[in-house]
Amino acid sequence: MSRSYLFIPGNNPNMLQNLDVFNADAVIIDFEDSVISYDKDCARDLVENFLKKYNFENLEIYIRINDFESNDFLKDVQSTLDLNINGYVLPKAMPESIDDLNKLIGTKGKTIIPIIESPLALLFVREIASKDNLHGILLGAEDFTKELNVPRTLEASEIFYARSIISIACNAFNIDSIDTPFTNTDDISNLRVDSLKAKQLGFTSKSSIHPNHVETINQVFAPSKSEIENALRIVTKAKTELKGAFSLDGKMVDLPIIKKAEKTIETAKKYNLL
Amino acid sequence: MSTKILYNLESLYEEIDIFEHKNISFHHHLRNGDFVLNMVLKKYLEMDVKELNLFPSSIFPTYTTILDLIKNDQINNITTNYLNGPVAEYISKNGLIGKLKMQTHGGRARSIIEGNNNIDIAYIAAPYVDKLGNAVGYKGKNACGSLGYAIADSKYAKIKILITDTLVEEVDNPEIDGANIDYIIVVDSIGDSNGIVSGTTQVTKNPVGVKIARYTSELINELGYIKNGFSFQSGAGGVSLKATEYIGEIMRKNNVIASFFSGGITKYHVDMLEEGLVEKLYDVQCFDLDAVRSISKNKNHIPISASIYANPNDEKMVIKDLDCVILGAAEIDYDFNVNVTSSSHQMLMGGSGGHSDTATEAKLTIIVSPLIKARIPVIKDRVMTITTLGKNVDCLVTERGIAINENRKDLIEKLKNSKLKIYTIKELANIAHNYTGIPKQLKKESKIIGMVEDRTYDIIDYIYKA
Repeated sequence: MSRSYLFIPGNNPNMLQNLDVFNADAVIIDFEDSVISYDKDCARDLVENFLKKYNFENLEIYIRINDFESNDFLKDVQSTLDLNINGYVLPKAMPESIDDLNKLIGTKGKTIIPIIESPLALLFVREIASKDNLHGILLGAEDFTKELNVPRTLEASEIFYARSIISIACNAFNIDSIDTPFTNTDDISNLRVDSLKAKQLGFTSKSSIHPNHVETINQVFAPSKSEIENALRIVTKAKTELKGAFSLDGKMVDLPIIKKAEKTIETAKKYNLL
Repeated sequence: MSTKILYNLESLYEEIDIFEHKNISFHHHLRNGDFVLNMVLKKYLEMDVKELNLFPSSIFPTYTTILDLIKNDQINNITTNYLNGPVAEYISKNGLIGKLKMQTHGGRARSIIEGNNNIDIAYIAAPYVDKLGNAVGYKGKNACGSLGYAIADSKYAKIKILITDTLVEEVDNPEIDGANIDYIIVVDSIGDSNGIVSGTTQVTKNPVGVKIARYTSELINELGYIKNGFSFQSGAGGVSLKATEYIGEIMRKNNVIASFFSGGITKYHVDMLEEGLVEKLYDVQCFDLDAVRSISKNKNHIPISASIYANPNDEKMVIKDLDCVILGAAEIDYDFNVNVTSSSHQMLMGGSGGHSDTATEAKLTIIVSPLIKARIPVIKDRVMTITTLGKNVDCLVTERGIAINENRKDLIEKLKNSKLKIYTIKELANIAHNYTGIPKQLKKESKIIGMVEDRTYDIIDYIYKA
């Protein structure tokens, strides 16, 4: 599970060179919206050569390919199938396009992160979440609200339902739920508020279009100090309790809560918080 | 002699012989908005005064009359602290009849006071002057803030001339003492306020710069410097200012109050003064209008001379008490020598200013720089020009990690269990080379066009023709 997914334009050598500098748990090298059409070939060449030369341990790397209906979809996949990447981020995803991408991937060991960015796709989110080979689902709120014909707001009430249903679907199928990027690059304070809202709805992580957002996202989606302390107490007490359920600070602790505490400790260890 | 008020330069040259006094100085507080330097030097150009020796505290791109004089073979030598723009470019490629001498801010003040920079006439742009010759820089229609770099000139030049566009009855608490001033020349305008303020004093938003700033603040904090009464200098670079912002966050969190910030002062330092995070600002140069406004109204924002700032022989020297300074680098080498004077192609594009002064005096000197700049690693075998000696530099902070000077075993010991990414400088260089390869070192031209003089008067390097 990753906390932060950082988009990096695939045609920008300076950004690629620094992709492991910004402490994102995962990077998404973009071939789609941030690369203008005449630069797509260039991006593919650049990324292919770059990833053949450099290995990045402890960093998940995904490539956002162009959507299934574009002329670049096939070229994007074919030019990157043998690269050392974790998988693909699939824009404008629908159940059929995920099936098609899975066929192309075959046995190459790559996973898929579909982006839900239309009301129609949201109606299929349960089916999408159940597909094979999924790492997570990403909410693309900009396109989603454009199709809904509603403005984005700081309050984010317009995506409350989409966030909720995506989070629930991902949780049900045990895959990452990745929140939409916060688009104001300078407003770190509201980035934190927005990230906390997503976390409260059950999101495991958030994507970002600016490296300066990563630190805040990592903080929000990591277990807090008190969560870690509480988890440690639960797990410690569980080891000494003979009963399946017990009371701690007047609250009932049973197996799901113990499992959740163990997961918190595991995550804290992963991010050097313990 | 009492101070004489004149209303044009022509009248001045009826009083003094322009051909007799060849060593002339200027200050650079009006920066790119300065009208005075060009106004005066045009007279030297028109009158074809030869064998001039110039002592401007810095040379900015708008100081183009210097270029005309050089091309006309009227200037022999230039002694300055910093230069960029067309003059820098021309000198890099052609040299001077004599030599270019690069000093530090503290070194310049010391040289003037001790008679090594023997100045005949100091032409001092002064924004707010009274009839007795008392002056401040932080009032008037072309206010520039502190006049710190002009104070030694105003005391020790043979002839001291204020040039102003604002003559008033009385100036309180003058920076320049009228008792020392020989002439006041009143002109229509001494500058363009839009050019006086530097365009560079913004906190960086560049993600690499932000990362470096974060590491820098964490390093200073881990080393235990951020505690009540600490002192700090950051300059006006975007990364340094971002680090200052992060240091402010740490100070708020731990209820720390600093004793002073020094050097060039910006809005960000002023905000921290007004918030009560720092007790005093010792200001040798205002970098923006907020700093100018603050210095005129806040008694704890104190203008200081370059001598009090950084002259090693001035017993009041502020930076001798400096705990920590953050400085930039165009290049740094394996011995931690730093170049901020020339590019790796030997083109002049800066100078020490207070770089070497503060690095020498501060208890902790941190250089901040991207590890790779425009595909070129910042770490070299040997820098093109030494501005600041490596023995005075303690740490290099880059976006990929931190190198500590091996001479600072105390720092290395303190950081041995740190979670910060600590490398040797060669390891950091290797990380850069992994991306860039090892660039060929440019072979220096054989012709020496100048030298770098440290505040000790030692010549620490030579400047070669580009």
